[in-house]
Amino acid sequence: MIERILHLWPARKGAAPIVPEKSVAGRTLLLLITIMSFLSAVTLGGVVLVQKSAIAWSADVGREVTIQIRPVEGEVMDSNLRTAVSLAESTPGVASARALTIEESQQLLEPWLGTGLDLTAIEIPRLVVVQLSDPVDADIEGLGRNLAAVKGASLDTHAAWRQQLNTMAGTIVLSGLLVLILIGAATVLAIVFATRGAMATNREIVDVLHYIGASNKFIAGEFQGRFLSIGLQGGLLGTVAAMLFFALIGTAAGNMLSSEAGAQVGVLFGRFALGIDGIVGIVAVVPVIAALTAITSRVTVRRFLAETS
Amino acid sequence: MIEFSNVGLRYGNGPEILRDLTFSVEPGSFHFLTGPSGSGKTSLLRLLLLSLKPSRGRVTMFGEDVSNLTQDRLLQMRRHIGIVFQEFRLLDHLTTFENVALPLRVLGQPESEYRPNVTELLEWVGLGERMNALPSLLSGGEKQRAAIARAVIARPKVLLADEPTGNVDPDLSSRLVHLFAELNRTLGMTIILATHELPLLDQFNYPRMLLSKGELVIHD
Repeated sequence: MIERILHLWPARKGAAPIVPEKSVAGRTLLLLITIMSFLSAVTLGGVVLVQKSAIAWSADVGREVTIQIRPVEGEVMDSNLRTAVSLAESTPGVASARALTIEESQQLLEPWLGTGLDLTAIEIPRLVVVQLSDPVDADIEGLGRNLAAVKGASLDTHAAWRQQLNTMAGTIVLSGLLVLILIGAATVLAIVFATRGAMATNREIVDVLHYIGASNKFIAGEFQGRFLSIGLQGGLLGTVAAMLFFALIGTAAGNMLSSEAGAQVGVLFGRFALGIDGIVGIVAVVPVIAALTAITSRVTVRRFLAETS
Repeated sequence: MIEFSNVGLRYGNGPEILRDLTFSVEPGSFHFLTGPSGSGKTSLLRLLLLSLKPSRGRVTMFGEDVSNLTQDRLLQMRRHIGIVFQEFRLLDHLTTFENVALPLRVLGQPESEYRPNVTELLEWVGLGERMNALPSLLSGGEKQRAAIARAVIARPKVLLADEPTGNVDPDLSSRLVHLFAELNRTLGMTIILATHELPLLDQFNYPRMLLSKGELVIHD
């Protein structure tokens, strides 16, 4: 399969490469680098998706605070609701404030109490949704102080939720970066073994090059060129596969999100769209993997030559 | 050009393979290096190729003591030495042209610069029509002529040949040695040709270095 794809790779012009392009070690390494690149790109894409979803969710939640008014004996709920709305609207940085209707409040309780219940006889807490125009400069503390005048009122800024969300997203991002580092380390080790194997396989070529006066630098350069080519090909194949993977996931998620349940998943986890920054990050895997391959092979070849010459 | 003075060689802690070698080789001369198998011909050639260091004694090449050469200097000196092997040692994935051009490529010459010289040399050794053939398609004689062309393309001062006629028939052997003689005559190249084929030596009137059990018993 890989061989067929590589036939599409532009043929090298000029003098033939001194290190043969078709060697067993080269094919094995190409497959390995393709897999590593795919894993790196998928991990990187996953990290970007999680981070973008967390930022978007955190921003959404951060643009809204909720005032909860519990029923208190001797207090008129509607009056307290109006006062709370009025206090909220007069607070700097607040765009709008709206008390949820009885029906909306009942809908919020349906998941726990079920449908079809008549809640008019029960006093239930009521909510005022406050939209902030400027989450950074909004005087939330002032609003909290002012709400002390309304009995049974409390202000929920969702700070705890946001903190938990940010912690979770940060943990996932850090884990993703750790996985990337491990993949990088595994790639380096695989390249070291493959390079030493290739050097042993091509020992005759190395000897001939030494005999005709080639420096270790020249020989290392020839091997590095070969490995750079493998790294570029493997990086590109792995990255293209990762792009296809995300496109497939995005399409599948898009179909799933057309349902109501899927829409909630979409709200929570985004729409699996990498965005331009995610695509740039994934494309950057190609030169990074190629450079990693070239540098590792060069260092390994130089060490091998120093040991054997 | 080359001076050996009481040179000895041993591998590791083993016995001395070469003992008390003292001789000199003048520029532009042609020497046969002969002796039975195991007499140390290849080891002596490896000393001359600077791929081994003597265990004792002094080796001077191109007026310089080779015992304390830096890696760079060693590389520069090795570029003045060409080598031809019995088993040709051509790179199988490169064409005849590419094999012969290899030393010039190593020196960093662009193909446009070396192409005329390589083509001319290949025609001179009779491989003009086989330039684009891979070594697997060449006969033994053709392979050895390609190996000789590769060894001389960068105009080395010294050409070493380790049993270059070992894999070809007697008639071709004689023609190959004539080729070496021609290189010596026309280019003034110093040549040391190792062989154990005594009938071949008798066809040419060149001085012989006879090695026996690691010692040089005749050098005329």
